[in-house]
Amino acid sequence: MAALTDNPAVSADAVESIVSAYREPAWLADERRAALRAYSDQPFPTEKTEEWRYTQLKRFSFSGLELAKAPKDESVPERIRMRIADSDAEGVIVHKGNKVVMHQATIKEAGVVFTDLRTALRDHEALVRAHLYDVVNARQTKYTALNSALWENGTFVYVPRDVEVELPLGAFTTADSGGIGLGRTLIVVEVNARLTFIDEYTSEPFAERLFFDAATEIVLKDGAKLRYVSLQNWSRNVAHINKLRAHLGRDARLESVTVSLGADAARAEVESRLEGPGSESEMLGLYFADEGQHFNQFTLQHHATPRGFSDVLFKGAVRDASQAVYSGMIIVDPHAQKTDAYQTNRNLLLDEVAEVVSIPQLEIAANDVKCSHGSTTGPVPEDQRFYLMSRGLRPEVAEHVLVTGFLYEVMSRVTLPKVAEYVERVVQAKLGVPGVKEKL
Amino acid sequence: MSDLHTDTTQAVHPDAAKLEGMEHAKQYEFKLAEDYFFKSDRGLTKRVVEQISYMKNEPEWMLKFRLRAFEIAEKKGRPKWGPDLSDLNFDDIFFYVRPNEKQGTAGSWDDIPEDVRKTYQRLGVPAAEQRALAGVGAQYESEMVYHKLKAEWEKLGVIFLDTDTGLKEHPELFKEHFATVIPPEDNYFAAVNSAVWSGGSFVYVPEGVHVEVPLQAYFLLNAENIGQFERTLIIGAPGSKFHYIEGCTAPAYTSNSFHSGVIEIVCQENSHVRYSTIQNWSHNVYNLVTQRAMVHEHASMGWLDGNLGSKVTMKYPSTYLVGEGAHGEVLSIAFATDGQHQDAGAKVIHVAPNTTSSVVSKSISKGTGRSSYRGLVQVHEGATNARSNVECDALLLDENARTDTFPYIEINEKTAHVGHEATVSKLDDEQIFYLMTRGLAEDAAMALIVRGFLDPVAKELPLEYAVELNRLIELEMEGSVG
Repeated sequence: MAALTDNPAVSADAVESIVSAYREPAWLADERRAALRAYSDQPFPTEKTEEWRYTQLKRFSFSGLELAKAPKDESVPERIRMRIADSDAEGVIVHKGNKVVMHQATIKEAGVVFTDLRTALRDHEALVRAHLYDVVNARQTKYTALNSALWENGTFVYVPRDVEVELPLGAFTTADSGGIGLGRTLIVVEVNARLTFIDEYTSEPFAERLFFDAATEIVLKDGAKLRYVSLQNWSRNVAHINKLRAHLGRDARLESVTVSLGADAARAEVESRLEGPGSESEMLGLYFADEGQHFNQFTLQHHATPRGFSDVLFKGAVRDASQAVYSGMIIVDPHAQKTDAYQTNRNLLLDEVAEVVSIPQLEIAANDVKCSHGSTTGPVPEDQRFYLMSRGLRPEVAEHVLVTGFLYEVMSRVTLPKVAEYVERVVQAKLGVPGVKEKL
Repeated sequence: MSDLHTDTTQAVHPDAAKLEGMEHAKQYEFKLAEDYFFKSDRGLTKRVVEQISYMKNEPEWMLKFRLRAFEIAEKKGRPKWGPDLSDLNFDDIFFYVRPNEKQGTAGSWDDIPEDVRKTYQRLGVPAAEQRALAGVGAQYESEMVYHKLKAEWEKLGVIFLDTDTGLKEHPELFKEHFATVIPPEDNYFAAVNSAVWSGGSFVYVPEGVHVEVPLQAYFLLNAENIGQFERTLIIGAPGSKFHYIEGCTAPAYTSNSFHSGVIEIVCQENSHVRYSTIQNWSHNVYNLVTQRAMVHEHASMGWLDGNLGSKVTMKYPSTYLVGEGAHGEVLSIAFATDGQHQDAGAKVIHVAPNTTSSVVSKSISKGTGRSSYRGLVQVHEGATNARSNVECDALLLDENARTDTFPYIEINEKTAHVGHEATVSKLDDEQIFYLMTRGLAEDAAMALIVRGFLDPVAKELPLEYAVELNRLIELEMEGSVG
């Protein structure tokens, strides 16, 4: 059964209308046309495609949807205003539909570019051209091809050599109408530069269905350091798919966290390619699926160079008739000796009807390596619950404490207290902790 | 004794050296006897299936079963995952060869490759057994021992026959269980086996009977039992307890390029069944085997699966825990050397409440060898309080060695406790250094560490097997130090 079928809205006409509307340079137009060809050449994934075997494909369908256009209303949603007020970010961009509805930055450090991709193409074309499509491109999946052919806007960050951006920069992506939404983030951190960036996807519920396809490209040059947060908390009428991929140069370091809380169905592909010796990649993940949500996460730690270090920790809870799928792969290339690579997935089952699939995988072709992975799935430990109850906590309170504590291990490794606090609030709201509403 | 062997149905296929594209066959330069009694057409066709059934003078239902399986195989096609099987060409293979009534016509001892003979000698395998293992001997000298055991088993009501004889002598018991654990629909190679099966063991241990001495297919060893498409059916009646051992650690030489067995085990209530197998096929063999046990209430099934030989092995002993309180255990060792791909693992399916399982896998990759662990743990809704733990350790001995781990974990039950852990490491230089300061040569030190790595599994083996395994590892490790 083909769950997914082609969509006439994804067409050469659509590509040409973007190219002409924005008077795009020839190189970009050619890239888009090639991406559309790659899109057409690739079959839709099916349940038989190994990478998509546990994905509820129908929930990621975009057949019958039009490309998302301008929002109905260009105001910044209240929930985002509150998030901004509560943050210590130096710069914020808000994307709504295909519009940038807010852009404010007070960046002290010199030479940093933080703007939307349209503006970047106008003011820093050479920089964009040098890196766009290097990391996430049409050759990877049907969805990255779709994004590469038809994205309209996104966020561009460039940190010059030796510059350390002290406070976080962030982009909010939101929507108030349905269709096919395409987001793109391109982050380039130059030699020995340093940055913290937060991509947040959030919306108030609206009537139509939105299929959102995000591409996040991260280029870390030698010695560059990036903390990156992807926080997905869409309303339940959204299906979200995201390829988040980083290429790491010599001694570069990535610390990423992928948080999945919202949307009806979400698939995150989080990938690091360690290209320079001594590079380090830490990829954390946190998810909480309830009320029938389907979360699908894939991690890839690709060691293409010696002396790399990588660590993955994905933890999640599943309640109601929801499903969480984690699939991870460590690839160590033949000459990537002295690799240290670790991978851990832990799941908490909170309901009879909840479902967990965990597939931690290793493909090791070098011998002088240290690699391990672990996966556990189980209910809230009875002895811990019993202990808390013996201390006078009601059963449901004990469970709230234990679930929050379980997920806290991930957030405790994120050195961004504001983000950690917000995630904790959303988790507690999901748990139904009395008195905690998802303060926005 | 002779009644077991006069009804000979299949021998190691003596024609492989002629087949094109079979490098190893050429390398071994097997001389061939052309006087077989019956030889089917090449390739897998409906006619071949009919020929096999006709030659075996089988009941009608078995012919129908074979033909149905053949159709299923035609429809299914080969799996698209796992190791590279592109060199395996069915059109070149004789799916059934019935040798002359006289045994041991596959070749003569002098034709057995020097390295295989040498290995036997080094392992201390008695001369007669060496010949039997190489498929060139007549029944070997343990015949007397076997007879004595056989008399004892018969007293207990234990049935231990080759599968073809089992079908003839116990048609009802056979039909009741045959293909109930692994139907031909299960997978492509099970379908192929179902169409062309020949040989294997048929074991039935009656209610409450404990068999103290392992039932060893060794004793039934003739060409037939190391056949290409063996089909083994083992039934443990309620409360029975026994250990079945297939194969041995010494290299089994065969000119067959393709081995695809099906092993079905039924563990009825409260039975304890162990199945141990160590395959050491010569390095020209594609070894694609389906093994599965259906485990009922409070019964327990233990697999010990050793993979040392073959070119490519795909083997994932599986345990279906269908009765409350059932227990399954898998110990797996794999040793992949130059050019080998050991794709082994385990599957455990928890269907009933309070079921438990444990999987321990140890693999070693040496030279250009590749070992993969491929596993599945499923906990179905309603299998309350199921517990499962999987541990995979991989040791890499050389720069070009490879290892993979592909565990699938699917959980649909809130009260399930499921864990999986895997580690990959190389030989520890410090440990080697320490042993060398104690006077061990480098390769002896390495062999000692490897043996220690395998120890948790090796100690579960019957003594003679453990001894052989250790010797074999020493042998494999010799010359590892450049």
